[in-house]
Amino acid sequence: MILHLDMDAFFASVEQLDNPDLVGKCVVVGGQSNRGVVAAASYEARKYGIHSAMPIFQARERCKDLVIVSSHRRRYSEISQQVMAILGEYSPLVEQISIDEAFVDITGCDQITGSTRDTALAIKKRIKEAVGLTCSVGAAPVKFLAKIASDMDKPDGLYIIRPDEVASFVQHLPVGKISGVGKKTRSALERLGIRLLGDVQKFNEQKIIARLGKFGYRLIELSRGIDKSKVTPHSPTKSISTESTLSANTDDKTFLTTQLLGQAEEVGRQLRRKAMKAKTVTLKLKYSDFKQITRSISLVEPTQVSTVIYGKAGDLLSAETLRKKVRLIGVGVSGLVPGDTPVQCGLFDQVCDTENIWGKVDEALDHIRGKFGKDIVVKASLRRRDESTE
Amino acid sequence: MKFTINKNDLVDVLSKVQGLTNRRSNLVITENVLIKAVTGGIYLSATDLETGFEGFYPAEVDTDGIVALSARKLYEIAREFPNDRILIHEIENRWIEIGNQNVQYHIVGMNADDFPETPQINEIDFYESDAAALKKIIEECVLISGAGDDKRAHINGAFFERLNQDGGHLIRLVSTDGSRLSTSDAPCVTDNESTMAEGILIPKKGLHEVAKFLDAGGSVKIGNNTSYFIVKKDVETIVIRLLEGDFPKYNEITVKSGGHDILMSKKQFIKMLKRMSILSSENYKGAVFNFNKNELIITASNPDIGEAKEDMAIKYEGDDVEMAFNPRFFIDALSAIEEDNIILNITNEEKPCLIEAESDKNYLTVIMPMRL
Repeated sequence: MILHLDMDAFFASVEQLDNPDLVGKCVVVGGQSNRGVVAAASYEARKYGIHSAMPIFQARERCKDLVIVSSHRRRYSEISQQVMAILGEYSPLVEQISIDEAFVDITGCDQITGSTRDTALAIKKRIKEAVGLTCSVGAAPVKFLAKIASDMDKPDGLYIIRPDEVASFVQHLPVGKISGVGKKTRSALERLGIRLLGDVQKFNEQKIIARLGKFGYRLIELSRGIDKSKVTPHSPTKSISTESTLSANTDDKTFLTTQLLGQAEEVGRQLRRKAMKAKTVTLKLKYSDFKQITRSISLVEPTQVSTVIYGKAGDLLSAETLRKKVRLIGVGVSGLVPGDTPVQCGLFDQVCDTENIWGKVDEALDHIRGKFGKDIVVKASLRRRDESTE
Repeated sequence: MKFTINKNDLVDVLSKVQGLTNRRSNLVITENVLIKAVTGGIYLSATDLETGFEGFYPAEVDTDGIVALSARKLYEIAREFPNDRILIHEIENRWIEIGNQNVQYHIVGMNADDFPETPQINEIDFYESDAAALKKIIEECVLISGAGDDKRAHINGAFFERLNQDGGHLIRLVSTDGSRLSTSDAPCVTDNESTMAEGILIPKKGLHEVAKFLDAGGSVKIGNNTSYFIVKKDVETIVIRLLEGDFPKYNEITVKSGGHDILMSKKQFIKMLKRMSILSSENYKGAVFNFNKNELIITASNPDIGEAKEDMAIKYEGDDVEMAFNPRFFIDALSAIEEDNIILNITNEEKPCLIEAESDKNYLTVIMPMRL
């Protein structure tokens, strides 16, 4: 059996844990200004229809007594680590999929930890005692169902889909619940007349594959209750990105470029911490009408140097004609390779020298920041006008 | 216009100009060849707007005239034609009949007036080179090319210069992709005792087209002015528009700065390199070369696939050096060397490696290491 564990309203619950005044109140974590988005909402706030990724101003409209708290990332990841460590006590196969979610494969552990129900309850109890937070657990023979199950009985829930229940569960499962089925896939499926996963089996397989491509194959397997994906500890990082909503919409490219500077540093630091280099740099812009675009550029040689990432992101920005004012800007990297992959040096241009010199600067800054905190050294242009919000 | 031409002559030249006419340009008509019939034969021209070709071929001409015809279709028709002689006849304006009693094509041509004019080159000092030698240095030069979207002139183009060395004249092509560089020399004959004031940048694409027209025997005339590079054979001329831009100062890196010469068997080394490059992929191109006392160990690792290791006995007495290289670059360089033995020159992990044949010093490749 596979467990999927999801912390309940994680960020908001941590805030309530650390500040008992917030208990029972509508709490959201996010930027203080009207312009940010909700990173997490407490269950009290969810009753008003407030959910994560909703703009703060909308959340305010829905609930007058809304308490907005800034996020404390370090605290969240500290608790997250404790939770993951606890899961590790129950099975070696723990796959963390986000800061507050993980799969645990407990197949063959029943001799040690008891039945699926006993194990799940034990984990919930351990977490409640150790960090003081509740979580919801779903259990199923396959991963995709375990994830759906954890959502069935939230908060502080436990939902188990037994092997003999899989077939009927799948029959009546709305396809939108399946992870990987977003708005577009769902409407494509609806046009085919598929609303429930069970409907897939009534259909011609070729037609589904023709319409959905690779995902079609997966969907057909899922409709039979088959999910071959395994719980894999330490799934490798595929991309790293950061983004921020600006305090005011702007089309001032100089200002936007300054934003990229801080973001490129953040992305570079994470790359170096993971000892990775990236081959592709991506710029993300969200316009005032909430339409978003991404632009990517591939590097000749992979890099982990903040200055190089900043330079490429800046090139992408300056090449872009801004349709409207920009509301959100972000930088990402992908195409990751291990940091010790050899880099081709140039005969004439100073690719290696740039990497070398700025690499040393980055290394020194990382050390200083590691010792004295992230904000002890910042680029001067970032200190001058600190106008962005998280 | 009406003429009869030898099938083999036509097929031969048309096959060689396909590289020009198949290249995308801003003008549709460059997919055509221009045929001009005059007493005694036809002039055939093709261009991609950068490289222009013109040749003269004997034909029985009934009536003079000029047409522009699809190079690809004319080539395919001529190639499959059943007879040794092909009749090409403009029966109406731009309506061309190709055929004999049994086979008949009617092809619509384009307006010959729209065909780009061939640049007129006057007053150039030509010098002579052996066709085979020129072909060889061009083939060596085009082994190194940049990525398709690389627009830098010194990478898209090869640097060409004429030098006086040891009392003789020679022409030199220098080619680089930024990470490696090669120099290829060939002797030439000229009355002009002065060397070229400045080298020129010739598009590698154009040189590649030139090589197709060069045979194993005979000689060719070579010349240039400030805009064009010209290669002339008996009845054929190719004119390439030069690139504008600077070529990096390369003399320093092609001169051995101490280091160690290592004599190796080309065959053995190339086999080793091929084995060690099997695991390379887009993201993992490098292999680590460990030069130890009398031993070379190459290791390649690709996190997506696995690892490989091979050692080989070599004559090396220097300090242990660990360098990373793209083995592909060595394979390219070695493939152009005909001799059995080669010499590697290595200095340290930051300096490029030089490769040349044991005795023929006309071809040298310099490969920059990768940083570990």
